[in-house]
Formats: sequence, C-alpha cells, structure tokens
Amino acid sequence: MSSGPVNITAASVAAILIATASLANPYEKYEGTTIVVSWPALSHFSAAETLVEEFTEETGIEVEIDALQYLKLRDRQILEMSKPEGEYDVVSWVVMWKGEYVSKGLLTPLSQFFTSGSLVDPHYDIDDIADAYLQNGGVVGGAKGYLPGVSGALYGIPFGAETSILAYRKDIFEEYGIEAPTTYDELTAAMTKLYDAGVPALTSRGKTGHQVTAGWLLHLAPMGGRIFDDEWNPVVNSPEAVKAAEFMRHVARTGPVGIETFGFGESAAAFLQGDAAMHLDTLKIAAMSRNPSLSKVDGNVGYALHPEGNRCGSETGGFAMGIPANAPNREAAFLFIQYMTNKAGDQRMVELGGDPIRISTLQNNTEGFDEYPVVAAQLPCADPDWRPLIPEWNEINIDVLGQALTQVITTDDPIQPIMDKANEQLREIMEREGYYTWASYRDAR
Amino acid sequence: MPDTTETIVPAAERPWDLSMVGPYLFILPAVTVMLAGLVYPVIQAFYLSLYDWKIGTDFGDAPYVGTRHFIRMLGDENVWESIWVTLRFGFWTISIEMFLGVSLALLLEKPIRGASVFRTIFILPLMVSPVVVGLIWRYLFDARIGWINYYLGQIGIEPRVWLGDASLAFFAIVFTDIWQWTPFIFIIVIAGLQALPSEVLEASKIDGANWWQHILFVKLPMIRSILLIALLMRLIDVFRALEVMYILTGGGPGRATELLSLHIYNRAFDTQQLGYASAISVLLIVIVFLLSFAILKMGNPMSEKADI
Amino acid sequence: MSGVQLVDVTKSFGAVNVIPPLNLSFAEGEFVVIVGPSGCGKSTTLRMIAGLEPVTSGAIQIAGKDVTWARPKERDIAMVFQSYALYPHMDVAGNMSFALRLAGTPKDEVRRRVHAAAEMLELTEYLERRPKDLSGGQRQRVAMGRAIVRDAYCFLFDEPLSNLDAKLRATMRTELAILHRKLDRTMVYVTHDQIEAMTMADRIVIMEKGHVQQVGTPREVYNSPRNLFVAGFIGSPSMNFLDAELRADGPRVTGQGFDLPLPPRLREAVDGHRSRQVIVGLRPEHFAAPRTDGGTEASSLAPVDLGVKVAEYIGSSQFLAADIGGRQISAAIEVGPDSAPLTSGTYLFDTNRIYLFDETTGDAIT
Repeated sequence: MSSGPVNITAASVAAILIATASLANPYEKYEGTTIVVSWPALSHFSAAETLVEEFTEETGIEVEIDALQYLKLRDRQILEMSKPEGEYDVVSWVVMWKGEYVSKGLLTPLSQFFTSGSLVDPHYDIDDIADAYLQNGGVVGGAKGYLPGVSGALYGIPFGAETSILAYRKDIFEEYGIEAPTTYDELTAAMTKLYDAGVPALTSRGKTGHQVTAGWLLHLAPMGGRIFDDEWNPVVNSPEAVKAAEFMRHVARTGPVGIETFGFGESAAAFLQGDAAMHLDTLKIAAMSRNPSLSKVDGNVGYALHPEGNRCGSETGGFAMGIPANAPNREAAFLFIQYMTNKAGDQRMVELGGDPIRISTLQNNTEGFDEYPVVAAQLPCADPDWRPLIPEWNEINIDVLGQALTQVITTDDPIQPIMDKANEQLREIMEREGYYTWASYRDAR
Repeated sequence: MPDTTETIVPAAERPWDLSMVGPYLFILPAVTVMLAGLVYPVIQAFYLSLYDWKIGTDFGDAPYVGTRHFIRMLGDENVWESIWVTLRFGFWTISIEMFLGVSLALLLEKPIRGASVFRTIFILPLMVSPVVVGLIWRYLFDARIGWINYYLGQIGIEPRVWLGDASLAFFAIVFTDIWQWTPFIFIIVIAGLQALPSEVLEASKIDGANWWQHILFVKLPMIRSILLIALLMRLIDVFRALEVMYILTGGGPGRATELLSLHIYNRAFDTQQLGYASAISVLLIVIVFLLSFAILKMGNPMSEKADI
Repeated sequence: MSGVQLVDVTKSFGAVNVIPPLNLSFAEGEFVVIVGPSGCGKSTTLRMIAGLEPVTSGAIQIAGKDVTWARPKERDIAMVFQSYALYPHMDVAGNMSFALRLAGTPKDEVRRRVHAAAEMLELTEYLERRPKDLSGGQRQRVAMGRAIVRDAYCFLFDEPLSNLDAKLRATMRTELAILHRKLDRTMVYVTHDQIEAMTMADRIVIMEKGHVQQVGTPREVYNSPRNLFVAGFIGSPSMNFLDAELRADGPRVTGQGFDLPLPPRLREAVDGHRSRQVIVGLRPEHFAAPRTDGGTEASSLAPVDLGVKVAEYIGSSQFLAADIGGRQISAAIEVGPDSAPLTSGTYLFDTNRIYLFDETTGDAIT
C-alpha cells in the first residue's frame, strides 16, 4: 500500500485547486463589511467577545457590538427594527419576544439563507443543536404560533439558551442524609426536612411581577399544568396549577428569608452565598458557582435532573440570534451567526465560559463540567410550551399571575380562590384580544 | 391774555409706540417654551390615549379606540387601588415629613454651636439621586443581607422580609420617602423662619405667648404661605414619585407599593399598553390639577403681598 | 420700691462691653425718655428692661419685684416696637386682643377693652382689617392699642415714631403725651430724636456709648447741660462751640471775633480762676438782631459781629449760616415775618445764656 499516502495527498491538492478555482473562501465577498450586533450584557455574551474577535480575524468581517442591559434590549431593538433602514444586522432576543418580533414583521426568515449553497456550511449540522432550544428560540408560527409545527418557520438560532436543572449542596445533603430528589414528592420532603433542621431549603424567584410567575412556571409544567388549553381557555385554576402554587408557598416558607423580594440575581446569590441548599432554575447556576467572585460553594455543588411531577418538563429559555428585516448586511450577518453556533464555535464557547447549545458539545466536555451530562439528559424533555409566548403574555405574566402568585406566597389566603380569580382575569384579557372569536363564531352557527 | 387752552387738542388716544407691545414681546419666548414643553406633551398624552398603539408598530396603523381606554380605566380596580395606595402614601409621608421638617427647623433655627454642621449633614439625602436612594435602601432593607435585619438580629429580633410583605413594604417606601424628603421641608421652613421679622416674634413673647403658643399662633401662621408651597410641591411629587419605588419594590408585593405613576410606567413599558397608560396619565394630570387647585384655594401664596 | 430700677446693670456681647455698670431709677407713673445717638445703648437698655435681652450682671426691678431673670410675660410690661411688629396674619382686633386671649381673659372683657382702646385711638372702623391694608400711622396706632389693652404696669416704646413722616410724628407726640396722662402708667421711651424727648418726657436720660450723661427734666437738660455732649445734643439747631480765652479781668471770654462779658451766674463760678483756655457755648436762638428802634439795650446783650453767608427764611425767624472770626456758626434770629433777608453786621447775644465748658474734660463750668 505504498501508493496510499500519495493518493491522499493528490486528493487534497485537487480539493484545494477546485476551491481556489471558484472563490478563495466563502467569506471573501464580505471582507471589510461591518456588521452591528445587538445583544445583552450577560456573562455568556461577554465570553463570546473573544470568539467574535477570532471571527473578524478569520473572515475579515468587522463586528461592532452594542451590548445593553437585557431589560432595555427589547425597546432599543424594536425602535431600531421599525425604522425603514436599521442599524442592527444581528439581534439577540429573549425567547419570549420572538412572537412579537415576527408578528410585527421585524425579522428575516432564516430559510432565505439556508437555501443559499454559498452561504450554508454543509458541516453546520443544525440537527445537532438541542431541539428544545431550536424550537423554543428560533421557530415561530407552528402550533399556537410559538410551538413547533409544520406551519412554523425558523427565524433564529439559539445562542445563550438554557434549560432548568436542579443544583444542590452535596455537603448539606450528605450531612442530613438526603438523596438528590427525582420527583416533586421527594423534593417536598427534602425541603421539609431541611427546614426542620434549620437549613433554608430551596431558593426561588418571588418578586411581584414576572419573577414570581417564572418561579411558579418552573413547577407548573412538570406537575402537568398549563396556562391555556388548546382552545386558549385559561386553566391556571386547574388542580395541577393550584398544586404548583401550593408548592410555591412551600418554597417561600421553607426557603431563604426574603424570597418574596428575589429576582433571579437575588435567588441565585442566596444559593451561591450558602444561604440555600438547592437551586432549581436555569443551568447558568453551574457556571456561576464556579466563579469565585460570585460563589462561596464551588466544589460542593451537585446537579440532578429537574424533578418530575407527573411528567418530565424543564424550562426552555434564554436567547436566540436572528437577522432584522431591515438589516443592511444580511448575508454577512448570517455568516456571523453560523460561525458563532457551528460545532467549532460551540466548543470555543465552552472553553470561553459560555453555555453550549449542541448535544455533541455537551457530550464531548464532561470533564470539569459536572452539569453537562445532566443537561444532555434533561434537554430531550425540555418543554417549549412551559409558558405561552403570545403577545399578551407580558400583561398576563405581570398583571395577573404576578399579582395572584404574590398573594399566594405572602399570605395565608386559600389558594384555589386566588387562582380562580386569576383565571377569570386571564379570560377577560383573551376575550378583549379576540382569542374567542372562532369559538363564538362556531357556537353561533 | 391769549387763551391757550383752545389751541391744545388732547389726542383721542395714546399714540402707538413699541413699548405697548414690548411686554408681550418679552414674554413670548417663555410662552413658547411653556406651550412646547408643557402643554404639547399633555395634549399628546391625551391624543395617544385615544389609540391602541404598540411600540414597534407604525403609529398610523394604530386603531382608534375613542374613549374605550377611559371606560376601561374607570372600571379597573387596579387603577383605583393604585390611586388609593398613592393617597395613603401621600398622607403618611407628607404629614410626617411636614411634622418632622417643621419640628427640626424650629429646633435648629437658633444659631447654636454645631447647628450649621448638622444642617449640612441633614440635607445630604436631598442631594442623592433617587436611583441611588432606591438602591441604598433596597440593600438596607434586604431580608437576607441587609443591615436592618442584621442589626435587628443583634438585638434578638427575627429577620423580616421588609420588601416582601405588603404592610412592611409600604412602611419601607414611606420611611425611605421621609428619609429623603424631610430635609426639603426642613430647608424651606428654616429659610422661612429665618426671614421672619424678629420684632414680631419678640412682641409675642411680651404678649405672653409661651413656647408652643409662640410657635402655633405666631411663627407657623406667619410662614403659612411657605408651608403651603412646600405642601403643594410635595403633593405633586408624590404623584410623580417613581424611581425610588421602581428600584425598591417595583410596586410589589402585589400592588402594595404601586403608586399611580409606577402603575402607569408598568402599564406602558412592562405590559406594553401605551394607549391605556396614556389614559391613566390623563387621569393623573386631572387628579394633580384638582388637588393643586384645592390647595391654592386655601390660600394662594403667589397672590399674597409681602407680609410686613 | 415701686417704679423701674436698674442696679449696676452691665451688658456684654462676647468680649465687647456695650453697657458699663448702669444705674437708673424711674418713678411709678413717670414718662422717661432715653435719648442718645444710635449705638449709645439705649435700645439695649430698653430690651433688658423688657426681658428680651438677658443682662450680663446687675439687677432689674419692676414694681418692687426683682425681674432680672423673669421672662418678658412675667414682667407686666407692654411694648411698642419701631417696626410696629404687628401680627400680619391677624386683623386689628386680633392683634390688639392677642395678649388678653393668651391670658385667658373672658371674651366679653376682651371685647370691651379692645373697643375702648380702639375708641381712644380712633381705630374702631378698622378693627377687621389686616395690617397690610392700613397706613403707617394706623399701624402705629394699632401697635399702641395692642399695648394699651394690656393695661400693663410699665409701657416700653422703642423709637415708635421714627417710621412716620414729620407731620404725623408731631401729631402722635401729642397723642402719646395725652395717652400718658390718661393711663398714668410708667412709660420708658427710647428715641434718638431730642425733640421727642423734650416734648414728651417728664425726665430725660441722655446716653452716650453706654454711659448716662445726664438725667433731668427737659428744662434742666436744656438750661443746665452737664457737659459738652448734652449741650450739643439737646436743642435744635445745636449749640455753637467756640474756643475762647477766659480772662479773669472782667471777667470775660474772648476769642477770634468776639469778646463777651460773663453774666453774674458764671462770674461766681470762675471767681478765683486764673486766665485759661475754655470752650464757650452759644445757642443759635440766643442771638438777636440789633435794635433799630434806638431803644436802650438790655444790659445783658452784648454785640457780636456776624458774617452772614446764607439767611434762611422760615417765617417769623431767619436761620443764619454765619461766621464769627472765621468759625462757622448758626444763629436763629427772631425778626418777624415781614423782614428783609438779613445781612452781615453787628448782632447781639444774650450773655446770660453763655455756657462755659472745660477744655479738657468737657464738663460744664458752673
């Protein structure tokens, strides 16, 4: 087999010749272009800045980053995208906003780029991206408008996406002889046991408005509850939803002091500073616990799947990246997104301290990242329908549920009436926004 | 002797000159600025309240809804609850601030040793930006790491969730507002007290007024217009207060600390109901106008002549 | 002992001593005017009597009680201030009745006394007005009324007329004098205006730099000023002072442009003195025009040459700005309303009215 190496070399040379015959590289056409990226000032994104520099070095495409506090991101982006000609070539949105962006016609469908052979890298392997992430962050227009389905279309690629896992203090669990809970019953029992021993059990978000609702929603899906049934009838007073609310009350009673005022930051800080034994929320807690400037508990944190109620269902959230309809450099923008989220980019993000979106990346990096096997196991049952991403969601989330759940965790009032009232208010909003016109139309006939 | 009176015919009216329009010319810039800066936004808010507009869409496409927002508002218990919170907040803060501010001004009015140092320290809260005030007190009141719970713990009092309990959170925002705004009343009142003619105060001593009669029947009535101005400014401030509450509690828990302005903010920017929020702003303007009008009725400090 | 007494009272503001030990005694029912230039300590003295200013040392008695450390309201005094110090937020009736109401006087009694005082001061129709709607004179009377209704043992006045115009001031002077007679109360009145002092006082206290210069009836202080300061302060226009030589032969005083024989009263006083330098004091109103009717001159009238610069016609008299031997003086000559403007020439001076003062101490030689 002496001719083997020669043949391989010949094949390589041929490949190089073919490539140079058309274009030196797919980026050449866009060399010198400057694209503007709008994304949040969060740890994943600041970690990504190194990768952005590498992108510029490799492709010659300049990138300008406009990093904003994430609560201010939407107003700024909407303002920019509703101009006839926008500044932004790439925008990164919280998955909640995707429906609004698309319904207002602000985004470019990614199919426009995936149909272009010169733009799409055949090795990109979009199927490797965790399906829950892709569906939740990128697909708009399927079932209910925000879920996967044949009517859906892809508008974005997840970047900085997340799901929920349980983080717990191995040392505390060992001390009190507690096993990592796999079900909500076990979790409840563990919380009671810890509380009785004088240890604040599970930290949670609990501040009035979207924070307390987010805390509750984390438990709603695994317990089998939903906000709406398939006909847009609100069901937040269902037994499952009430049970989730009861659980929230239990969390507030047995958890660290001040849950009623916690946003995500305060909730995480309570765990990281050692004031709570468990954290059941985004997987970002893992990276935070390894950061010595935030955490006092590094090395003592174990990870487990989000406990199950009557089904497995962790949250899906975080960010996705897409291209505004009025972006000046759309192809270059696509190349940027592709570069940041391809296999090499995803691997680089792990090295830089970010969160991966690909199953292969999770599987290849178990060393030093205790949570990755858990995340990889969690993702298949991550629930893209854990909250409805409809335009009315903000009002429902903040004005109705945020108020009702505050009452749940700050008072001793019976829970069922609270949720009944919330359900009624929810129905009024849906009525006002015309969700029942089809039903009444059918009834009338 | 020639009769000169017949040759002088008085002019029918004053001949025209520039000085007749001068005054109007001089106030023109002020009027223009006022119209552009004050009246126009109010009209704009009212106009917006007639449409159902969402940020990010073309305003031209926003559907006209007429008085629908106003009708919804009148039946919206959240709006009324937030007005009630605002009125309660205003009542407690303003009455306590007035009492404390006036008392401190009366105590520190005399040029005793150290008073000027204390006066300077005392007005420091006024110089702090409301956002910073909100942050400072949010951390002081924090249930887990706050100083207040820490020191209460030192004397054996259980930690309390100051910002997570309806009545404690209300207390917290009232307390913070008092902390920030008592100095305002204090400076205004002390300035008023120091401008009082000393002979009148002496006259009341000779007339036999004791300490509290002296304050109640002479000093306070004489600075009445200043007290009214302070009251008016604080009252309007209460309806505008936003930053501190926004940071401290965000209106929670529930709507326990959601003042009307914060309610409007949350409606407009959190739940994106700009038209509806504008309708509530119109209500806010009406309420503030009526309250101001009532106070000015009690005695318009601007129309009174300088006291002798 | 009744009345008002100040015993060894001193007052210092920090290190600055403004009132050296001061002793004054006012009889009950007396109208005393304390007069002096501004800064002489007269107002401070009054305020110490009122209790508005604590004394540094010494004692004050009112109506026989030691009130040195008593509060103003315990001293049974009423006071009228220069600025009137009316309560701007009360109407006239309210201002006048304030003290009574504080003292818990029955309502009927309050009304009766306010109306009586208003009647006396012709304020009845203004009872419901606020001070800002009154004229200066009316405010002044309200301030007066506020003191009157108190029916206090002692009334204190701190330059109460100085904010009024000249005509009103003259009227009010008369009214005050009448008021004093009606009320028959001890009154202490502070002013810088010697006319007010002369016209109203039973006794005048003349102060300068905290020191009492002289205490006496208006007649005493006019006719027998104890020193240069009193002589210069009392009388209008002021006394002229000229350097002169006292000559034992005669005896007489001579100076630049004059040579006057001493009257019998002074002859005795300088008897046995040697010739020396003195200051001679001549009041403007004691000059007279030379007799043109050829009648005999009174023995006390001596000729003086005046160089007249300006003659001011004021009706029955003329004021002269003139000089004697190059020294500027003033003279008031009674010549009748139809006289022609006076010119330089020889005038007369009443030598009975000559005052002599020691050149170094300034004390009167009597």
